[in-house]
Amino acid sequence: MSDRLRAVLPSVFSVFLALAVCWCLIALTHDATKATEAYLHLLRGGLGDWAKYLEEGTSTLLTRPLGEAAIKASLLLLTGLSVTVAFKVGLFNIGAQGQMLVGALTAAVVGAQLKLPALLHVPAALLGACVAGALWALIAAGLKLTRGVHEVISTIMLNWVAVSLVDNWLVVGPLRAGAGTVLSTTGTAQIAASAHLPRLLGDSSRLHLGFPLALAVALAIWVWLARLRTGFETRAVGLGAEAARAAGIPVGRRMLGAMGLAGALAGLAGALLVLGTELRYPGSLGAPYGFDGIAISLIGGNHPLGVALSALFFGVLRAGGTNMQLLNLSKSYPELIQGFALLFVAGRLVWLAFMRRRQTAAPTAPVAPKQPEPSPEVPRA
Amino acid sequence: MLELLEALLSSTLEYCPALVFAALGGMLCERSGVVNVGLEGMMRTGAFCAAVAALSMPTPVAILVGMLAGAALASVHGYLCIRWRSDQVVSGMALNLVALAGGTYLLESLYGPNGTPPIQQLTRWHLPGLSEVPLLRAFSGHSALTWLALVLPFAFHWVLYRTPLGLRLRAVGEKPHAVATLGLSVAGLRWLAVLGSGLFAGLGGATLSTAVLDRFEQHTPAGLGFMALAAMVFGRWTPLGTFLAALFFSAANALRIGLASSAPGLLEVVPQGFLLALPYVLTLLLLALQGQRTHAPAALGTPYEQESR
Repeated sequence: MSDRLRAVLPSVFSVFLALAVCWCLIALTHDATKATEAYLHLLRGGLGDWAKYLEEGTSTLLTRPLGEAAIKASLLLLTGLSVTVAFKVGLFNIGAQGQMLVGALTAAVVGAQLKLPALLHVPAALLGACVAGALWALIAAGLKLTRGVHEVISTIMLNWVAVSLVDNWLVVGPLRAGAGTVLSTTGTAQIAASAHLPRLLGDSSRLHLGFPLALAVALAIWVWLARLRTGFETRAVGLGAEAARAAGIPVGRRMLGAMGLAGALAGLAGALLVLGTELRYPGSLGAPYGFDGIAISLIGGNHPLGVALSALFFGVLRAGGTNMQLLNLSKSYPELIQGFALLFVAGRLVWLAFMRRRQTAAPTAPVAPKQPEPSPEVPRA
Repeated sequence: MLELLEALLSSTLEYCPALVFAALGGMLCERSGVVNVGLEGMMRTGAFCAAVAALSMPTPVAILVGMLAGAALASVHGYLCIRWRSDQVVSGMALNLVALAGGTYLLESLYGPNGTPPIQQLTRWHLPGLSEVPLLRAFSGHSALTWLALVLPFAFHWVLYRTPLGLRLRAVGEKPHAVATLGLSVAGLRWLAVLGSGLFAGLGGATLSTAVLDRFEQHTPAGLGFMALAAMVFGRWTPLGTFLAALFFSAANALRIGLASSAPGLLEVVPQGFLLALPYVLTLLLLALQGQRTHAPAALGTPYEQESR
């Protein structure tokens, strides 16, 4: 079995096993026909109602769901890439949520407060969000490098600091729309029309420029990691910091760079959410896309293209999730599938041992060993 | 002034048990060398199962069910991390995601989005002697779990530092190979710690749904599991330190709630968000100050492999 297949198969198996487990869960809490129907709804909500489209010919039946799926996928893709980039340098970025929050707020403020032509306003807001996210992430990286604080703890703490300060102070206090008046609205002021991310398909879908942008970013990250010198050095630090230092790679600078990039990507996700669909910073950011990024990244095998695939897949499921409410099922259902998939990916050594045993057992004797063998030493992808 | 202090103390005692139990559970797990960021998920599972069980059985039994549910989730963590040497942080985060989405899914499909039906709350102990004495009055009117939370850290301290089992648990988190050389089972000790942490995190969750509230709500435990993690780090992975940190966080929480209700004018000056952020910022600051001199167990996060050195 080739190494590439060995890297990809556990993720694929995990996703299918998760789908099966969740199907059983509906079958248990409701019944089997409802479970099947729910999956069909999920597909229709994410990929469009093709049967109805072929009958009636209205193209919005396809463009609307597909657009929603693309919007969700672009957010998942960027937060997933954020986690991936940090992983490559050997850091675990649990703080994508906080970085995204800070980025979203910055985008909302730049979008609402500045007066610029559209050609400058959108890039300014995107850039502002990236910088804010990067700075938030650099706190964790700086603490790690100078004071030896473990990044898992510091990013979890920074998430809660961001939520407390943004959602419980800035958005309900100084930055609330109509602050100082008796107006009782939640969230910040609407962003200016010049800061809206342009819609790609007009009124037939909410699909906006963010989706191609996210795909382009994924491609760029892939090229950077695989082909450029700094990308190679970043990966080298992640594989062995001491060896990298001995080879003359500036370990600290690569860590700071990668963590800053990770924060910028998460901040960009926040900007897409605000400039593309919400059009202001809402009372709270809603779905924890930052935490989803961890799942997306690991299911995608920490490879930019794998992350893109898993983001697209779960984007479709997420978009379909809203459709589940028609069946009186929770719209958090796709997140459940995602959680189980991550759990099974966490046990990828189990999959690998299983695959290896099948391979060795098949040509010779059908007798399987009673005790599972010690797990093989497999380098992590 | 005295009344204010009394109210704060009472409110702290009301909120601290869940945090204390979960933080002690996390500490137990991490002292044995297994990272446990899945505390939040174990608490949620415990809270949900206790609330559901209490619908059909007496509340104390339901709390046991909640503890077992937390341990069941922890056993998945143990299976992946001890048996299969998976990445402990990844496994913990996966459990969090499953518990978060799974709790919401089960809640909505069984009881609707607003929470489980109300249950019989755990009986509160009104101590006739205490309710006359000023200040000590605050200790009256809490459930048995509050008293357990005040005693348990000392029990943990005694077990960890005064018994052979405690020595072995600490050793397996510092230098597992040394433990194995003595002919003890590294995996067995770690299993014990991981399951124990699940029991206590589950108890913490069950406390929320049976003593603090009278049902399971959609957002339970709303980040308390991560707060417990912070308390454990803040308390430098020791039972009494963890206990003090958890008390401090609960007091900060009580102060915030107290300020919001009794002195709304003050919140104009000090925004609520600042008070919310305070425990986390303090944890970060303390970690930054203590610097390289880390207090974490030496083998924390590294799976045990017999052949490695």
